[in-house]
Amino acid sequence: MPSAVEVSGLRKSYGQVHAVRDVGFTVGYGEIVALLGPNGAGKTTTLEILEGFRTRDGGTAEVLGYDPGERSGARELRERIGLVLQDIAVEPYLTVRETIARAAGYYRAPRGVAEVIGLVGLTGLERRKVRSLSGGQKRRLDLALGLIGNPALLYLDEPTTGFDPAARRDAWELVRGLRTAGMTILLTTHDMDEAQALADRVVLLAGGVVVAAGEPAALGGRDAERARISFRLPAGYTVADLPVLAHPAHLANGMVVVETGAPAQALHRLTDWAISRGRELNGLTVERPSLEDVYLELTRAGVPARAPERIMR
Amino acid sequence: MTTVVAARRRAGNPAGRPAGTRGSLRLLAHQVWYEQLSFWRNPQSAVFTFIFPVVFVVIMGALFGGVGKSSYFGGLSALQYYVPTIAALSVLGSCYGQLAVALAARRQAGVLKRIRATPLPAWAYFAGLLAHCVLVSVIDIALIVVVGRLYGVPFPSHWLAIMLTLVLGAASFCALGVAVASMISNAEAAPAVAQLVLFPLMFISGTYLPIHSALLNRVSGWLPVRPFNEALTAPFAQHAGADWRHLAVLAAWGAAGAAVAVRRFRWDPRPE
Repeated sequence: MPSAVEVSGLRKSYGQVHAVRDVGFTVGYGEIVALLGPNGAGKTTTLEILEGFRTRDGGTAEVLGYDPGERSGARELRERIGLVLQDIAVEPYLTVRETIARAAGYYRAPRGVAEVIGLVGLTGLERRKVRSLSGGQKRRLDLALGLIGNPALLYLDEPTTGFDPAARRDAWELVRGLRTAGMTILLTTHDMDEAQALADRVVLLAGGVVVAAGEPAALGGRDAERARISFRLPAGYTVADLPVLAHPAHLANGMVVVETGAPAQALHRLTDWAISRGRELNGLTVERPSLEDVYLELTRAGVPARAPERIMR
Repeated sequence: MTTVVAARRRAGNPAGRPAGTRGSLRLLAHQVWYEQLSFWRNPQSAVFTFIFPVVFVVIMGALFGGVGKSSYFGGLSALQYYVPTIAALSVLGSCYGQLAVALAARRQAGVLKRIRATPLPAWAYFAGLLAHCVLVSVIDIALIVVVGRLYGVPFPSHWLAIMLTLVLGAASFCALGVAVASMISNAEAAPAVAQLVLFPLMFISGTYLPIHSALLNRVSGWLPVRPFNEALTAPFAQHAGADWRHLAVLAAWGAAGAAVAVRRFRWDPRPE
């Protein structure tokens, strides 16, 4: 089965600035893929090429079987994709229902207006003027506009920026629900928690190239990385007394850290050691490198100087 | 792979919306309706659009209401001269000026990008804008004619010629408005740029005062504003029909504007 999105060797320059140097990835049907990366990494340019807003300088791109750079298929493609853009772009004087009904009229087979209003949680606000909505409500309206055409593929450009934690959870729930209903979703985000919570796979961009790709849990090999066990050394003992190799942490109050490739074993020996001495291991935690650690590690190395955000986006 | 793509394309086609002319007309009606809705919902913009030309006629009436037919106004009374030129001015304002500013603002706000992401064809979007501009112009002209009547200017007799001139003028100035919007990249500069082009042009075209310089008249005769003034004055005040020569000049400008607009118009706010 072909993928919903197939990109390879994508290139795009603005004058001297190489926004996208070599980007390739695929999005399978029914998958949620997150494009991650710092500002200027080429995320938005890549997305805009796939949305048909920008031409590409090189490489191939196929979206739902269409070349997004070709005008002939553009209208058909737009019937089948939905966009939620970074900027809130809705006309202030229409009501919620009117705004969505207007967009519905542009599609051959839209979803029901009331259904979409319910889906994004704007029920009860149908007759409110858009300008009287809160920022979060406008964002939901934006999402409704992305969904009204009943797209096979939804692009979400930083969908929860500016949401409070509860609203963000709700939005995630909604996005997962859409995926369950068979929608394919390509999103960009700065938010590692979001990528981790939503994405089946992440594609990490830096300096216009893909620096890592894979499941969020395994990105950059972090599932195979050594775990860090940290705890407070019981009073009266030194690091040398411990049954495993440990070193003092850079923290105050006697914290020590054990780095190990076999955390279960190390943990067992440590707790055994403590219990047999009638001691507690206060502040005990086991950590793996977070997605954010991997992200920072991978995007820091060998990345060319950032171009101004204004041009790169 | 190719067959899969072809099959998917075919499968996409036959659903819901009626194809062809009927579908297009329905789409157009839909677009016109919502353009009107968002216009009339903004009371300030609606009121100012219509108050401005009325105030202008009232002022001109107060200033020149008593001036009868004179050679200074080309053999017309002052108000017979000003009613059609102010009508032309209001068409210019709503089709060229307001459209250029509104498009630049909508582009900057991302509204155009959002529209472009839907299957709405570009022609339907612009046709909706044109219909809006024609409607506003018709209301403007009706108001101006009524106020002019209060100052003793008789109702014009050649309504068909007026409608034709109006629609052609509105279309041409809309095209020029879109062309100017294509050249401006930031919305803050749009009103200034639009006015900078328009104001001197209106002045030398006799919108504010009749021009008696043969050279200026020759120059402005080839620019878009004066031909429109003349083409409206003929059926309004001179009891003549459509002024084909001036309409041709106007249409040529409209076509030039459309050519620039088609090549240069951008939907998304960020420069490539």
